[in-house]
Amino acid sequence: MSIQNINVALIGNPNVGKTSVFNMLTGLNQQVGNYPGITVEKKIGFCKLPHNIKANILDLPGTYSLNASSMDESVVIELLLNKNDKLYPDVAVVVTDVENLKRNLLIYTQIKDLEIPTILVINMADRMETKGITLNIPYLEEKLKTKIALVSSRKSRGIEELKNLIVSYKTIPNEPCLNSTVIDKDYFEKLQHAFPNQLLYKLWLVITQDVNFSNLDRNEIRSTFTKSHSELKRLQQKETIKRYQFINDVLKEGLKVDASMAKDIRAKLDRVLTHKIWGYFIFFAILFIIFQSIFSWSTIPMDFIDSTFASLSSWVAEELPSGILTDLLSQGIIPGIGGVIIFIPQIAFLFLFISILEESGYMSRVVFLMDKIMRKFGLSGKSVVPLISGTACAIPAIMATRNIENWKERLITILVTPFTTCSARLPVYAIIISLVIPNERVFGVLNMQGLSLMLLYLLGFGTAILSAYILNKILKLDSKTYFVVEMPSYKLPLFKNVGINVVEKTKAFIVGAGKIILAISIILWFLASYGPGKDFNEAEAIVKERTIQKPLNEVEFENAVASQKLESSYIGIMGKAIEPAISPLGYDWKIGIAIISSFAAREVFVGTLATIYSVGNSDNEATIKSKMQEEVNPVTGEKIFNFATGISLLLFYAFAMQCASTLAITKKETNSWKWPAMQLVFMSALAYFVALLAYQLLK
Amino acid sequence: MQNTIHTLKKGEKAIIKDFDIDLIPLKLLEMGCLPGNLVELLQIAPFGDPLFLDINGSHVAIRVETAREIEVELIKTNF
Amino acid sequence: MVQEIIAFTILGLAVAFLVKKFFWKSKKKKDCGGGDCGCS
Repeated sequence: MSIQNINVALIGNPNVGKTSVFNMLTGLNQQVGNYPGITVEKKIGFCKLPHNIKANILDLPGTYSLNASSMDESVVIELLLNKNDKLYPDVAVVVTDVENLKRNLLIYTQIKDLEIPTILVINMADRMETKGITLNIPYLEEKLKTKIALVSSRKSRGIEELKNLIVSYKTIPNEPCLNSTVIDKDYFEKLQHAFPNQLLYKLWLVITQDVNFSNLDRNEIRSTFTKSHSELKRLQQKETIKRYQFINDVLKEGLKVDASMAKDIRAKLDRVLTHKIWGYFIFFAILFIIFQSIFSWSTIPMDFIDSTFASLSSWVAEELPSGILTDLLSQGIIPGIGGVIIFIPQIAFLFLFISILEESGYMSRVVFLMDKIMRKFGLSGKSVVPLISGTACAIPAIMATRNIENWKERLITILVTPFTTCSARLPVYAIIISLVIPNERVFGVLNMQGLSLMLLYLLGFGTAILSAYILNKILKLDSKTYFVVEMPSYKLPLFKNVGINVVEKTKAFIVGAGKIILAISIILWFLASYGPGKDFNEAEAIVKERTIQKPLNEVEFENAVASQKLESSYIGIMGKAIEPAISPLGYDWKIGIAIISSFAAREVFVGTLATIYSVGNSDNEATIKSKMQEEVNPVTGEKIFNFATGISLLLFYAFAMQCASTLAITKKETNSWKWPAMQLVFMSALAYFVALLAYQLLK
Repeated sequence: MQNTIHTLKKGEKAIIKDFDIDLIPLKLLEMGCLPGNLVELLQIAPFGDPLFLDINGSHVAIRVETAREIEVELIKTNF
Repeated sequence: MVQEIIAFTILGLAVAFLVKKFFWKSKKKKDCGGGDCGCS
């Protein structure tokens, strides 16, 4: 028997555990990509089913209904309307939460109207007992014209039943469970009459939604059947009421709640977590714990990775036959890869905390708690989520602004999010802090280095909020404010969901950023190892001549030749050219090169310095950190990474817009070059002047 | 004076009566904010805004400016 | 000699990769929206 491929689409409201069901079906057999042309995350997983059936499972973005109000939701509609899409589902699985069945069923009734075979998953079945809920499954199946799988992703129950239902998808009825056209009979009859071959509900979606619809000319439909915005909305309201009436009728028989059995910890928790004093106190305590732990816990694996790669480099240099490839490996490629791997601990911790906050339902409380305050700065409570996830990476954070309904609030959030301390800044901060801030404790408990890092994070948030305030005053935009946030019930985060999320995100980040860092390290190595003219080619003679009065021993001589070569190499020439612009900030030309290369992506900084110092140093065994520590100014003999330069560098990296990908995503989300250009110019100028000021005051 | 969700006190329940559909986002309707449905004010955020509601079993937070537009009829609680 | 050939091949690959990543894609933008659209 040959293998049969089927497409399964997972659909459902946000916060119903759709991703848990997806993870249970597919395990780690997942691919995360993007829909063509837009940055909505596309998650496809694979699952082997009985009877030689292989299912491609598509995890669609969470949506409350088929009325799209964001790009994420449009994806769902466009897929369901386009039968020619290669991912068009053979069967739809609508995931619902047993506690919110009424609301979750709304989208189910809409999907049914599209006449796609639909399975209903009632998730979180393990909570039925504590909530006093009983379901009449046969009755529900009959009324909703479907098959139901009772699933508990927490207890891993019900997934086999779901798999069996998917296998037998052809037996599932695909007719609608209610007739919603009664809301305006005349109108719908005419519509059907004009396009007899089309599904009525599809036509209705084409009229009301802003989506592509390939088979039909939408203008043709719209010109004859369009109504005013207000009239359409009234009809949509009628439609919603009609659907809820149906759902209420069904649930009256199908779902019984014994309120006396219900134990609700939500109310108690909310009383504390959204309290006007305790709420803020707890929020800041959580942030503090996150940042302290990121710094102190990850230093151990980071130091280990750093020294491992240093000894790997020296091993390669000694064991392989000497030559240019060996040098490229030991001085360019291995330090370059090391500069990527070293990210893993901190990024993993950060994604771990963020996904726990989101999974548990706490993030919505933060939105609720912060809305009024954020609005004073022209932001929305929902801006808190991008600002917090911006600590991982500005790119997903900017995408997360999509659920901010108000355009002005959303634009301001997009513009200021790059100020938050993203994980690419972390290695730069980490290495500079460890060089210039003493590893001591203040008040006996607080680690000074951890505290400095916390201050840098606060500086990032502070600048973001301050710039939001200024932007709010400057920008003259008028847009309607809508603000609707669902407050999901609290849940213990599922280890599997958090784990998969951390692994996927870290992997994507390391692979994506890693390729760029590696390529830049290789090019830098060549630029640093070759140079024009006799300054480079006759380096040994020049050094000999210079030190004729006071001959050096062998090691000193080798190092002197290496640094003479580096200075007259291509990269040295480039660095020297920009030195006048950056020396007022306290940087030498090597740091200048590192800064320039980090305009592609900040995290390149450490790798670049690693490569430059490896080329200019015959000692392969030293770690990046110790090489930076030993670096002295050849004229004054002072350490390069002293306190003033360190602070100046930290501030420069805190403010500068050094991320090509963020600019690209800003362009895409705002649909204009104006905003990313403004980000680049404004942030870089700010960075330069603040760093200048800091160095001049501190030196 | 007409009661709206905004005039409710914490813990009070009411029935949604009417609202101007052009001022209410569709998403809120889909969450169950429809005439005849029950609404309970669960929590008020610090500084009095937004409001945390139980609308027809859905837990949602909305801003005061939206809450002001939704007329309700208070349900008298029995003591 | 062999080492040199391999080393410069790696250099060529690195340059090609970066050029593709930062320049080639921006030209492609008109077709697919550009950036991280997965069209490469």
